[in-house]
Amino acid sequence: MRALDRAPSDDDRPLIERVRQGDQDAARTLYERYFDRIYNYAYARLGRAEDAEDLAIDTMTRSLTRLDLFQDQGVAFSSWVYRIAHNATIDHYRRHGKVTLVALDEAALPQSADPAELAMEQLSNDDLRLALRELTDEQQQVLILRFFQDLTAAQVADIMGKSVGAVQALQHRALGSLERALQGRAVN
Amino acid sequence: MTPEVQRLEALGERLRAVEPVVPAPAAKIRGWNLVSAAVHETATVRSRSHSVRRLVLAAVAAAVLLVAGALAASADSLPDSALYPLKGVVEHARGALAFTPSDQLTYHIDLAGTRLGEAEAMIARHRLDLASQALTAMNDELTAAAALVQSEKGTDPAVAADMENRLLQAVAIHDRQLAGLQGQVTNPAAQSAITRARDRAQQAAQAAQVEKSPATNASHGKGSGSSDASSHPTPKH
Repeated sequence: MRALDRAPSDDDRPLIERVRQGDQDAARTLYERYFDRIYNYAYARLGRAEDAEDLAIDTMTRSLTRLDLFQDQGVAFSSWVYRIAHNATIDHYRRHGKVTLVALDEAALPQSADPAELAMEQLSNDDLRLALRELTDEQQQVLILRFFQDLTAAQVADIMGKSVGAVQALQHRALGSLERALQGRAVN
Repeated sequence: MTPEVQRLEALGERLRAVEPVVPAPAAKIRGWNLVSAAVHETATVRSRSHSVRRLVLAAVAAAVLLVAGALAASADSLPDSALYPLKGVVEHARGALAFTPSDQLTYHIDLAGTRLGEAEAMIARHRLDLASQALTAMNDELTAAAALVQSEKGTDPAVAADMENRLLQAVAIHDRQLAGLQGQVTNPAAQSAITRARDRAQQAAQAAQVEKSPATNASHGKGSGSSDASSHPTPKH
């Protein structure tokens, strides 16, 4: 059972209007709706729990305090939040350089998993995450959004400002690159 | 489906199976505290800026009403009124919107009438200085009107004839008003000012009647007797 069951929804708009009027409950609802997803996205990109936490907080702060800008974007709120997260990631890379360290022991993992299976899962996930980090920025983004975040190709296209066809092509190339990266790691 | 596509799809499914990393509860609470404070501050700033905006809008609306009211009130103001300078501003603006010579003539004739009315009012209030200024201004308007008529004679004689007729009618009406006013005042200075004004008005009428060329005279059947026009011109019909 994945922790991020709830897909970004279209019923954000009433909440957004309430946040614009200073409604803290509505802000809390949106925060709860997106924080985990953004944290997970940031962790996949940055590989460190502290960085992911800072980036998720920064993204949610920007999202919920700059709603006046959101109205002019013409995209879903969820797409806007992911775009902010992506830009924050780029800023992070500029400031700190690209980090390739994956520290799974820093993250809280689901407690329902079987310990034996979890060890295997961790190892495999570790390989996958490290190999993923070797891809280009766009390839990482498309794979994380499509497979870690369970978004549709149309949603990813909205976030990345591309056509659905371009996203599908990018996804295909990204999976090929990931496969080669995993093979390279196996050889080494 | 090719083996490559199958492999990649399987890889995609494997990625989908990767357990998501979730934030520690303490991190989430800390995050909410920071986000909540920022949202609260933004709402406060927005509320303040809305209040300021409302105040500015109210001030602008009040200023617009004040100016509009002052402009409306100035329309009937007299030279001894504090609003009188505004009247000049409005008149200048109206003058700037008179584009054709005919419109400009109407503008000057109207202003001459306005100045005459002001002179009458100032005489009634024993403000001979202001009355004299108003009469001078009236004559200036008539002189400007005569110059317009003359200028138009070189461009469009038919229009010029109509303009000349209108100016002569106006001068005749003003002269009758001035004559009546002259009969009512006893102050020698006022008498003298009115006489001067009547003379200058007649000079303007004569200047308007001076023909520009024989060809123009022939085409409109006018004689060359404009120079001996009477001191009380009769408008042409």
